[in-house]
Amino acid sequence: MISSETFHVVTTELVVGAFSVAGLCFSLCLLVHLGILKQPTWASALDHVAHFTLAFGLAATPFAILSGLSSAPGEGLNSPILVNKMLLSMTGFGFALGCLISRWRLGKRVWGSKKSISLHGASGLAACGMMLLTASAGGTFSRGESLLDVFHLPYEQVLLFPLLISLISLLLGVTMLVIGWKRMSEISSIH
Amino acid sequence: MKMKNRIHVVFILSLLLLCSAFGAAEPGGNGDSLRDMQCGGACHGDASINETSLAVLTLSADDTIYVGIPTTLTLTATNLETSSSRIIGLFLLTDMTGHSDTPQDAGWEILSDANGGAVNYIERTLEPGQNETSISWVVRASSLDSTTFYAAIHHGGGYSTPYFGSSASGLEVSVQAVPENLPRLAADFMPPTLRTIDTPTELNIETQFTETVQFEWKSEDGLIMNSVVNTSGVNSWTTTIPAALQPTTVQWRVILEGEGPTQTTPWFILAAEESSWEVEEGAVYLQAFALLFMTAGIVLLFQTRLTKNPPVSKYDDTSIVAASLALGDVQAMPQPTTTETTLAPIPEGGLPNGWTEEQWEWYGHDYLAGKYGGGQA
Repeated sequence: MISSETFHVVTTELVVGAFSVAGLCFSLCLLVHLGILKQPTWASALDHVAHFTLAFGLAATPFAILSGLSSAPGEGLNSPILVNKMLLSMTGFGFALGCLISRWRLGKRVWGSKKSISLHGASGLAACGMMLLTASAGGTFSRGESLLDVFHLPYEQVLLFPLLISLISLLLGVTMLVIGWKRMSEISSIH
Repeated sequence: MKMKNRIHVVFILSLLLLCSAFGAAEPGGNGDSLRDMQCGGACHGDASINETSLAVLTLSADDTIYVGIPTTLTLTATNLETSSSRIIGLFLLTDMTGHSDTPQDAGWEILSDANGGAVNYIERTLEPGQNETSISWVVRASSLDSTTFYAAIHHGGGYSTPYFGSSASGLEVSVQAVPENLPRLAADFMPPTLRTIDTPTELNIETQFTETVQFEWKSEDGLIMNSVVNTSGVNSWTTTIPAALQPTTVQWRVILEGEGPTQTTPWFILAAEESSWEVEEGAVYLQAFALLFMTAGIVLLFQTRLTKNPPVSKYDDTSIVAASLALGDVQAMPQPTTTETTLAPIPEGGLPNGWTEEQWEWYGHDYLAGKYGGGQA
């Protein structure tokens, strides 16, 4: 058996690697679909790689979160950086989930209009950005420094909602997810 | 792939490989921990990329070491060079194989280290201009075997180059049996290594063959102070170290008197740290899931609004078919007409010249009605 620390390193490397590739491909996808990068033949390959790596990173994320919690020194969430890591990774998870479900249910139509392209690309990039921020917070927690230190990000500050606000947000989120899913089912059932 | 593209790919891959070598060392350190030599490759990457450190490492120990009684091992490091972060990592090892080489592997317990922990690898940040340092570990042998101790160092240098060095020779330590009636700390006594600031620390000290105990402690300025020791039973003592006002370390030791020769324990290190940060974990988890569902929901909702629906075709009878299937009314569904009924009757003389059966199937009616080819049939 390997220790939870080693397992956390393995899973985070998988997550960060996968999300980095996804981020690169989403950026190029945006450039191609918005006509900035004149390589229309790349669009399909970039689209597939972006979503596959995003799905792979998403699959590894729960393992990274759980192993991170068990490998952190002390008990539970005893540092503001750990709390921020949890919040950032779950937000990234949400963006990635929304992005993948959209692509799955709507197919290539997500690249159909400028607004849709922008939203889909932005959600994919937001997922990648959140995961890279999480990794940076992890570096700050374990080594006291990270590549993003130049931005002086406030990892020590935690924005914690009151319980009621969190509960309302949760219900609102689930409702939006259900409505979005139903709308997608209506659209995709035609074809 | 064109030759030009291949050259580009090779160039980019070479650049990436070079970047991995530049970024091999971890300039921020990896934190104190129990580690094998070179951290098993986890601190500076592969051992082969390390340069040889010029640091001189010298280990020293007390003259007499008894089994089960704490003793001090001191490492003096001189001729130190570091990277701009000035961090060095120092190892206390029992062999140089790179695995199973910690003191614990050789049957020794580490009771305290110089940073207020109990591990064999500690990191130090040197002051500007400082090129030597001295640190101690308090260890306890569990058997009479002799052990050879080694020291090793990790640090950085110019251009992010990782360095590794080790002591030129090992320090052989022989462990002796404990003399009869020697006043000593209890064999299972574990000194605390951490405390929180703003809180006085009450120490409970268990001893053996001890009649009186004198307690000494010193802060970082080196001034030695005494504290009153109260007995709480036979060979059981309590004393109090005043509260620390900031994260600093104090060292303490006891002088034990009894029937045997008077004994002085090593200096144990007690580090003070901020009280641990606390948060209501339920609220964090709830907010985390709220953020997950909110972001996923927002993305889905807006994506459905912004994604254009496909244009509705006048030939699309999906809704009729779906409704019929839902009702189970197969008869109501538009039935495809058979080929026999739609096929135009073939003229007596057979198909017109040059016509195929497939053409007749599609255009036969037009031919018979004189419409095919603009009525020129």
